[in-house]
Amino acid sequence: MRLRGTRNMRGLGFFLKEKRWLIIAFIVGVLLYLAPTPDGLTDASKTVLVISVVAVILFVTEPVPLPAVAFMIVIAQVFLLQGVDSKQVAQSLMSDSVVFIMGSLMLAVAIVKQKLDKRLAYLIVRMTGTRTLNISVGIALVSGVMASVIGEHTVAAMMLPVAIILITLTSDDPKKVRGLAAVLLFSIAYGCSIAGIGTPSGGARNAIMIGYWKEFYYVEGDASTAKYLVDYLAWIKVAYPVFLAQLPFVVGILFLTFKPEYKHLTRSVVKLRTMVEKEGPMKSSDWVAIMVFFATLLGWIFFSSELGLGIIALMGAVAYMLLGLVRWEDLNSGVNWGVVWLYAAAISLGIQMKDTGAALWVADSFLGVLPAGMDEGIGLLASVSVLTTLVTNTMSNGAAVAVLGPISLNMAATAGESPLVLGFITAISSAFAYLTVIGTPACTIVYASGYLKTTDFLKVGWKMVIMSTIVLLAFAAFYWPAIGL
Amino acid sequence: MRDALFDNDPDTVPEDGPPRFSILVCIDGSEESERGLKYAVKIGQGNDADITLLYVRPVDKGMKYGVNLARQHMLDWGIELPGMRALKAARDQLFELGFLDGDWSEEETRKRVYGDPIGDIMKTYTDKNDTHIALKLMVAPTIASGILDECELNHYDLTILAMHGEGGKNVRGKIKWGTTRTVVTEHHGTVLLARDIEENHGHLICVNDEKSIEAARQDAVLASRCQCPVYLLSVAETDEDLPAAKDAITKARAAIEGAGVEVVDAWTDVGNARDIIIERGKDFSVIVMADSSVKGFRRFFQSSVAYYVLQHAFNSVMIIR
Repeated sequence: MRLRGTRNMRGLGFFLKEKRWLIIAFIVGVLLYLAPTPDGLTDASKTVLVISVVAVILFVTEPVPLPAVAFMIVIAQVFLLQGVDSKQVAQSLMSDSVVFIMGSLMLAVAIVKQKLDKRLAYLIVRMTGTRTLNISVGIALVSGVMASVIGEHTVAAMMLPVAIILITLTSDDPKKVRGLAAVLLFSIAYGCSIAGIGTPSGGARNAIMIGYWKEFYYVEGDASTAKYLVDYLAWIKVAYPVFLAQLPFVVGILFLTFKPEYKHLTRSVVKLRTMVEKEGPMKSSDWVAIMVFFATLLGWIFFSSELGLGIIALMGAVAYMLLGLVRWEDLNSGVNWGVVWLYAAAISLGIQMKDTGAALWVADSFLGVLPAGMDEGIGLLASVSVLTTLVTNTMSNGAAVAVLGPISLNMAATAGESPLVLGFITAISSAFAYLTVIGTPACTIVYASGYLKTTDFLKVGWKMVIMSTIVLLAFAAFYWPAIGL
Repeated sequence: MRDALFDNDPDTVPEDGPPRFSILVCIDGSEESERGLKYAVKIGQGNDADITLLYVRPVDKGMKYGVNLARQHMLDWGIELPGMRALKAARDQLFELGFLDGDWSEEETRKRVYGDPIGDIMKTYTDKNDTHIALKLMVAPTIASGILDECELNHYDLTILAMHGEGGKNVRGKIKWGTTRTVVTEHHGTVLLARDIEENHGHLICVNDEKSIEAARQDAVLASRCQCPVYLLSVAETDEDLPAAKDAITKARAAIEGAGVEVVDAWTDVGNARDIIIERGKDFSVIVMADSSVKGFRRFFQSSVAYYVLQHAFNSVMIIR
């Protein structure tokens, strides 16, 4: 019944218009497939590159649901790659990284179901007082610390009402609080973005890179390759300080860019406190939920090298279910299973890029076009960071790492750099998706509040990109060598 | 209520009186949609008109997971969704303009659609004269398909859309030109593209053939609802076409005056119809044009004057079907 109206729009002309990017992607794919194989590529590696190019066009333009792109990648591998059968492709879809992504998404839903957002609001306003600057720092810090351990979309979703309440209690007229709204909302989005790289569970991209290191470089029984089994704590040592160093700059950039109209939010903070205090004291189930989460976190820190990140994430999710804190129905409806498929397929394609030599060819070609000085040392790190930033602003950061990871790791081998360093540069730079609404889930969520314009992301995003790149390269130049990376 | 609205045959005439004049105003929170709303009130004045305010929210797709979660949290905190904020602001404007008489009753319904957990939300306000204001926050694959869904499922005499887009000049708003174009192309009824609409400057009705004369009569009736003065324009491409253009004016004047509406003035010009209509149209509230009955993309080619004017006019344009 409901689709009667859209029936009008189902003519051939409308279909062609709506699916133009799908058609363009297929035409590009067919032309590339039929084109002569460039020197240095085999037929198999060329085919993998063609699949990758088509997938990237579809990731960016989204003419079909992204899970459909994932399925198309899987099908294309079976049909187009000689010597690859369905069993091999199916096996490549499920790895510890994918289980970890799945488990983390379930944990995020379980945590959201505990309705702890009002507690968080209370924590922030108690901690920060009424100054706008302090509140912005508090929101960015709390969002960041949480987003460093659970998915940023969960944190942004929980924090959004806090910011909107503060905005609306300050003024009903959005025009009078444009600057304030931008500062508070971007504190959430960018707080989440810079923190998502802090720990492996902060984002799928981190798990994907950990998976690539293990898949590409770790050899069982070879002690010299053990460093490529990057565990939870090892990741934190490298990446968490990068997040913390960026935090003060984020707030500074936001204040300089948007200049909030109100320096104090006394009235709205008082009202917010009153609202939140109605919740009463923490219940025992709230404490149990928090304990389960911390137990999972400790499991990741101390046992991930033995058990794998994925199994521990699943244990956390199961614990929430066994204790009756969340129902399977909630997990089933709350987790975007399409995302899991998307990353599984992207990782599978990444492995094919490495196995067929396609990633090496792209890496060599990229290094070949870089000017002198930019193909080694800090210049190469900057080049990879810029490339990743460009790509991640057009597609999901997980997909960006899945596509670029094999290339940057091969670049490291060719240029004589550490795959770990270039891997971290790629994974961390994938968080610099500050320029567009669709860059990260957190950006999309704060945009959905209705208070921001798409141009706001560009207005502040370029400053964030420069700041984050400088901070990252500074860490790569000074801190990482000091800790033996 | 919700199901009743969606499931009834739109062509069914209520048994308890003549059909009411119904106006759909697409709201996007822009100043243009506010102006369009005022125009809707002017046309809908009296007790025989209902206004539906529509805000279409596209279905979340791609990597937008978490947005629904955020919306649920906003509702849990008692925060209105952005679309509902815009609709309520428009509703308050209607209340201020006195569209509803005295006290009114209020009803809210929800419906899950397209797998969206929040789905469609509709609030209806009804006064003692049975005049309705409906607020619809609707989920659809695209904004255009949502508007077309609503128009097809619930017959509206007039659809008002705030104009925006890179294709048009002098436009703001949030509904993009591509959306506007799709709605106008696929719509089966009369559409007003509200762009910097200024009231009381009258309707400039463009006529050239039989179909446009019938459209002129329809618009004159519409214009009479808001006491807007009516003017006629016919453009001949060459001097040879001038008699036919003058004939169209004569017939249109007769049709309009036959409907009891006075034609204030009429002009017959020679030259490029698109440019002349846009230039002459500057001094009026609305340029009125007829659209041919062909469907889909062919409309663009066969009614190119109407669509050119729609895209490039400086003021509001109404396409009558």
